[in-house]
Amino acid sequence: MIFFVLAGYFLWVVYPMLWVAYSSLKPDDAIFRNAFALPSMDALQWKNYQQAWREAHFGEYFLNSVLVTSVSVASILALGSTTAYALSRFYHPLGNVLYGLFLAGLMIPVQLSIVPLFFELRSIGLLNSKLGLILVYTANGLPFAIFILAGFFRALPRSLYEAAVVDGCSETSAFWRVMLPLARPGLITVAIFQFIGIWKEYFFAFMFTSGAREESVRTLPLGLGNLSVAAQYHTDYGMLFAGIVMVTLPILIVYLLLQKHLVKGITDGALKG
Amino acid sequence: MATVVIENLVKSYADKNGPGTTVVHGINLEIKAREFMVLVGPSGCGKSTTLRMIAGLEEISGGQVSIGGRVVNDVLPKDRDIAMVFQNYALYPHMSVYENMAFGLKLRKIPKAEIDSRVREAAAMLGLENYLDRRPKALSGGQRQRVAVGRAIVRKPKVFLFDEPLSNLDAKMRVSTRAEISKLHRRLGATMIYVTHDQVEAMTMGDRICVMKDGRIMQVAEPMELYNNPANLFVAGFIGSPPMNFLHGKIQRETERYVFVENNSSGQPVKIPLNEKLSAKVSARIDQPVILGIRPENVRNAIHGSAMTNLRIEVAEPMGAETFLYLSSGAHSVTARVQPDQRFELGQDLAVMFDLDHAHLFDPATEQAL
Repeated sequence: MIFFVLAGYFLWVVYPMLWVAYSSLKPDDAIFRNAFALPSMDALQWKNYQQAWREAHFGEYFLNSVLVTSVSVASILALGSTTAYALSRFYHPLGNVLYGLFLAGLMIPVQLSIVPLFFELRSIGLLNSKLGLILVYTANGLPFAIFILAGFFRALPRSLYEAAVVDGCSETSAFWRVMLPLARPGLITVAIFQFIGIWKEYFFAFMFTSGAREESVRTLPLGLGNLSVAAQYHTDYGMLFAGIVMVTLPILIVYLLLQKHLVKGITDGALKG
Repeated sequence: MATVVIENLVKSYADKNGPGTTVVHGINLEIKAREFMVLVGPSGCGKSTTLRMIAGLEEISGGQVSIGGRVVNDVLPKDRDIAMVFQNYALYPHMSVYENMAFGLKLRKIPKAEIDSRVREAAAMLGLENYLDRRPKALSGGQRQRVAVGRAIVRKPKVFLFDEPLSNLDAKMRVSTRAEISKLHRRLGATMIYVTHDQVEAMTMGDRICVMKDGRIMQVAEPMELYNNPANLFVAGFIGSPPMNFLHGKIQRETERYVFVENNSSGQPVKIPLNEKLSAKVSARIDQPVILGIRPENVRNAIHGSAMTNLRIEVAEPMGAETFLYLSSGAHSVTARVQPDQRFELGQDLAVMFDLDHAHLFDPATEQAL
């Protein structure tokens, strides 16, 4: 029984992905003739990918996405881990207030912040720039990172820090060499969640970078959106599917590589490893 | 090897609204070079806090600590030349046994070859050669404990600090590790300060023992001195297992001799004629309250009319080599440690004698020994 339920669920989840993947190898007319048929093996349309990459500028979008996502995730990890460590390890009268403020960031819907953010970015001249987008993503990802990582640092026994200090660590090296490596599952959890979130992020990207005339700042989701919107009279579905695959594949790969750590990270935080 | 001198050491924590809590009240203690000093006391007595102040993990609120003649109040833990073994071992989970032991040396920029030889030497000493590549998670409790000790040894510090290192081990491991640490102390000839709440550990390991209670030192002495001549009621009751019996009563003069008369409203009070040694201490205390302390092994079943009193047997615990009898006078319960070769009927009266050569008298008001 469980088997059938799971098998059904598997199909429910995986079939659409497969459908997109194999449709991306079909020419347009084949898609319209029979939307669900497999592509004919002797006429695989790799050219869909070529087209998407070159003509639809997906190459550029892809690089932009890689840059924006990696810098944002790296900044979130660097700032989040140090902040979480400071908040959880050192006592300060305002420490809990600060922590509460960060957590409040989790509870504010992003839609509410969009207008002030827009004007803010415009006034400092970072509208339509990758740096502006990175700043927004980083700030937006910090509360989650701090929430997860503070839990990790709190769960680490204090005596580990003390052992490190007696062994010869300074405050900084105790953090780098002992505490941070032990929070690795938490770091990986944060990295995956943020990577996925930022990689496929459309709303902020649309609001803050779609004014740019040229492709140079657009990220993949925005490019994908443009592809379907811009081609109002004729949509090249094959190319669209190819684009979708290009957007999805990196997420799948990263997730598969790190999913073991992800599960560990989630349960570790909960169970106080 | 260094002496550790503690002068008027105070630790207090600030309260949000109030005078604050003082957990160590200006203690003075000198630990000689190469000495094994045990700090012992019930939980909350300030022994761990004292150790942590010596280590530099806890700020000193008053007084000073010096190690090897240097005042270290404001010296960082890493610069105090100490090593510490923690109760939960505090091994770094992400490093192998080898890396755990080498970590402190690496931080001190000691050449690789030297690190390697020191780690391997310590590993050999502790029987850890085959586990050097393992992570702490893959070790048993006893092995982890030895890694923690090894991590301290390789550093060759002036002073070793142990914070209840055996309390996470099972009873059997505890006994064997106890002996190993004692051996290690003799071999390294290092100054060691050892905190425990277990008086057996204190008695068996310490060159000297410092008994603490409520942030104050009760007595500092060699183990047998502590056992034979406790300075006060607390030390008398804390050291020894089963603990010393205490009888509350007063001194009366009967013709030529002094007699201890138990406070007993419900029945016939126990009367114990005092010997010369004790009489000399109480001659000025006629009709004043005192506490008579006597250890279980000095309560004997009487032979040949030496009986001083009769006590009812409430519980008998045969331990094999000896039997503990829990006796009652009606007002007091008295534990006796007797030979196991006799059968004892519960509820019966037993004629007992107290070996007064090993008895102690205390002033109930000051709790000091007379």
